[in-house]
Amino acid sequence: MTPRMQEISQLDRVIHEPARLAIMLILGGVGEADFLYLQREGGFTQGNLSGHLAKLEEAGYVEIEKKFKGKVPLTVCSLTGKGKAAFTEYANRMLGLLQPSGATGAPQP
Amino acid sequence: MSFLLTRTSLYYKLVFMKDNSAVPMASPGQRAASYWFVDGLPDILLGVTLLIFGGLGLWWCLHMSKSVAWPDLYFLEAGLILLFWKGREILGFLKSRVTYPRTGYVQPPEDIPDMLIGHPTTLITLSLKPAPPPDENVTRFNTRTVYVVFLWCFLLFGAAANPWKSWYTALVMLPLAVALYAWNRRSERPYRWWSTLILALSGPALLWLDLSPLLQPLLMPLLAGAWLVADGGYTLVQYLRANQYPRARESVQA
Repeated sequence: MTPRMQEISQLDRVIHEPARLAIMLILGGVGEADFLYLQREGGFTQGNLSGHLAKLEEAGYVEIEKKFKGKVPLTVCSLTGKGKAAFTEYANRMLGLLQPSGATGAPQP
Repeated sequence: MSFLLTRTSLYYKLVFMKDNSAVPMASPGQRAASYWFVDGLPDILLGVTLLIFGGLGLWWCLHMSKSVAWPDLYFLEAGLILLFWKGREILGFLKSRVTYPRTGYVQPPEDIPDMLIGHPTTLITLSLKPAPPPDENVTRFNTRTVYVVFLWCFLLFGAAANPWKSWYTALVMLPLAVALYAWNRRSERPYRWWSTLILALSGPALLWLDLSPLLQPLLMPLLAGAWLVADGGYTLVQYLRANQYPRARESVQA
């Protein structure tokens, strides 16, 4: 296996799943958002989003809080410091992998 | 370690990865900034402020000091200060009842200053080729709409000895409409062309009323306020029609 393929296998699998990547991307861009906004923005079902948020929370990447805006209760999600660091590392790794390279990316006979 | 992919799985993944988008998608930050204006409430609040304080100024000038229009400026300044002091709080209150239960909450965009004021060349640059909006959750609504409208009002008073007299309001509404349209064209809150056309035409329409030159600068904030309320109201109605109030609050269930 080439070094590049090894690099792919070392990607953070918690973030690498498309739905969780979308959640991380949205939260990274907006700061904090509630469950309903994430659901509409990412096109998730309730159960799907709950499941993915639970995994991200379990990994310590996302913080989920019950807040009140006026009298309206909201489930507000935001990235933790660990989540931001993990996402930055993932993005850098992916960008590095997607860069055109010489011998490392060439198929071996 | 090896990656095991069946032919179907590989085909599916390749189709999924194909870029079918005709236009590049806005970043999450840009979308969040646009979301702040999706219900038209910021425009309505600005418009109502102009109507209230412009109306108070007009009333004062008509009944208390019949020969000078300067008191109107003080009322407008008070309105501007109040808007910056309490505007976000009022919008947060309104959005928690109108927007968040319907389409969710996202962190409000941060107000960032623009290079518009103090750089006259920016006017030309922005009109011809406006810079793309930043990727972050930020807005320039204060600089590109609030300041522009208020500055226009203040400039009217500064040029009291104008040679055109009755044509003054008619002439001044046109550049205001053009400025609002051009400066916000690629921002997070662009104005509709037909809406700004209405604003531009509202000035000449006032000529039919044959108002005295003293009254004309006093009507400017009222005109701009009424236009902002109408534009924001149209956006709000469209938003409410597209997003019904949920029967069961999904955010609570989550």
